[in-house]
Amino acid sequence: MFSSSFISTLAMLFNFSLRNIVRYRRRNFFLFAAIAVAVGGTTLSNALIRGWQVDMLETAVSGLTGHIKLQAPGFADDPSLQNAFSSLTPISLGDNVPILGFAQRINIPAVISSERETRGVALVGVDPANEGISLYRDFVIEGEDLGGPEDGRLLIGRALAETLQTRVGRRVVVIMEGADGKSRERGYRIAGVFDAPMKISEELLVFTGLEAMQAALGNTQLRTPITELSLVLQAEEDRGVAQRELAAQHPQLVVKDWREMQPQVAEIVDLVDATMAIWFFLIMSALTFGLVNTLIATVMQRTRELGMLRALGMNQRLLLIQVVMECVGIMVVGVIAGLLLGIAMVFGLGDGIDLSAFSESVEAFGMSTVLKPVLTLEDLLLFGGLSVLVGVFASYFPARRALKISPLMAMSR
Amino acid sequence: MTDSEQNSSTTAPVVACQGVQRIYQQDTVPVYALRGADLTINAGEFVSLAGPSGSGKSTLLNVIGGLDGFDAGSVVVGGVDLGGLNAAELAEMRLRNVGFVFQAYNLIPVLTARENVEFILQLQGTPNQERRERADAALQRLGLGDLGDRRPGELSGGQQQRVAIARAIVTEPVLLLADEPTANLDSKTTEELLGLLRDLNPQQGMTIVTATHDPIVMGYTSRQVAMLDGEIHQDSASAD
Ligand SMILES: Nc1ncnc2c1ncn2[C@@H]1O[C@H](COP(=O)(O)OP(=O)(O)O)[C@@H](O)[C@H]1O
Ligand SMILES: [Mg+2]
Repeated sequence: MFSSSFISTLAMLFNFSLRNIVRYRRRNFFLFAAIAVAVGGTTLSNALIRGWQVDMLETAVSGLTGHIKLQAPGFADDPSLQNAFSSLTPISLGDNVPILGFAQRINIPAVISSERETRGVALVGVDPANEGISLYRDFVIEGEDLGGPEDGRLLIGRALAETLQTRVGRRVVVIMEGADGKSRERGYRIAGVFDAPMKISEELLVFTGLEAMQAALGNTQLRTPITELSLVLQAEEDRGVAQRELAAQHPQLVVKDWREMQPQVAEIVDLVDATMAIWFFLIMSALTFGLVNTLIATVMQRTRELGMLRALGMNQRLLLIQVVMECVGIMVVGVIAGLLLGIAMVFGLGDGIDLSAFSESVEAFGMSTVLKPVLTLEDLLLFGGLSVLVGVFASYFPARRALKISPLMAMSR
Repeated sequence: MTDSEQNSSTTAPVVACQGVQRIYQQDTVPVYALRGADLTINAGEFVSLAGPSGSGKSTLLNVIGGLDGFDAGSVVVGGVDLGGLNAAELAEMRLRNVGFVFQAYNLIPVLTARENVEFILQLQGTPNQERRERADAALQRLGLGDLGDRRPGELSGGQQQRVAIARAIVTEPVLLLADEPTANLDSKTTEELLGLLRDLNPQQGMTIVTATHDPIVMGYTSRQVAMLDGEIHQDSASAD
């Protein structure tokens, strides 16, 4: 079937199709333009939506959540040192599930007071060296960073510092529940004030050195008590495997992935995928409509010519191939132009759209204040490929029309 | 087929029609385009098919060429009974055995003269090199040697019709059918074209049937057949 003469016939039909596309260039130009603008616009909007999705996911994961978090079973109900567990180092998942990093923390509720104000916060004992996987790495710090796990000073957010009307170098008082279940009150000096991408982190999170915090809370039976271990994988897709393996390794702990910890974000991430699919479907339906109409008009206008080809002995299969080639040809060129247009627009946006003017509502969606478009090769290929498939589908209608043309129509006047 | 054996010539006739009927249904009213046409054409004949408009000339050519079906009778072309062929087989038969020249030149506008001629060779699966040579030779024979690269729109009516003839003969069909090929041409161009057709006739032993109501055309043909009301009315071959 694919003999060399058949292939050379295809080449001829291809040449013929291209010239027909050029022949109806005015009509086809509008079609091209419509396809290019639609595909380009969709590429851009998809990149922005994808950017939003990636941003939300990153924000969710790079909070203190990570891809996977391990906690003691009672911690959800009673977030205190009563529900701590012993430090798990070293942690390993084998070579096929590479880990980006993990951090062990004590993370318990506390009350912080300055001379002026009092606020409820999360007091987090960290080893700053391990926090490259969390939002900690994005902090812009005024004053000093924590020096290490033994540092007994505090790092507080800019928004909290403003509320408390305090600043770097000043002292605040923290009330928390100790290892024995009794309240402890302790004075802390503020080492640094951080700016975070999201205001809510500045309001709620207060950091201190993990070892210093363990000492301050008093003895438990555990030698190095922690309340959570947060883990970030190199590939988010591995989270299922990692979760199962960790659960098997540590049956006494609760192992959750970020989707369980942040179900709203997970839902929005899924919604985004669905939105993109619906958007694609709508755009493509509109395009298919235009494509089908234009191509049917082209076929009808050439009834006599196509009838003549039939009269000369061109069989229906070749006629069909020719019409499909013409449809797909228009679609492919339009789609390529559209993808290039979309890529150009994405690069034109460069560092993204600054949404800081809407910062409050933007943060309500769990986003940072700059929307960066994200263009993935998968999205481009999928979109391009599906568009061409749509072209093939659209060619069915004009092709069906073409097949109704009888050789006698060559003679009709 | 017993008819062909009775013929004086040793070879079978190129066309043998017997009692051919073609009835069109127009708004439930039957129109008899052919009411039992009998016609036998031997190899090498140059036949004109005359008759008033509506007498069935085009219908008969279309039936013989396998473009149109028929409702009764038998049609045998080049030894093949067309009554037994399906649409795909008819297409193949047209591609291999019949050359067509239509009144409207019917060239593909986006292809050059040479490409128009090559197109049909390509459909036949002729290799590239040979295709090109044969197309050029056909154009040459019709005096179009220099015009191969022009598109139909850049050619005069007479030139376009010569390209159409080149396309029809390049496959060396057993039968060339022309339906009023000169109807759109002036008398000078008509005579040129008929001269070319007449030369093809003995040179290649090509059998040509042309529908016409132009006396100039009939003057060039070796046999004149006249149709009336869907039947063969007069035939110079049997009148002699
Ligand atoms: N497709 C068709 N449908 C209905 N009637 C047709 C069709 N083709 C031809 N006819 C009729 O058949 C008759 C013969 O037509 P045609 O063969 O074209 O005559 P000619 O070529 O001699 O002018 C005419 O009456 C014509 O109207
Ligand atoms: Mg006619």
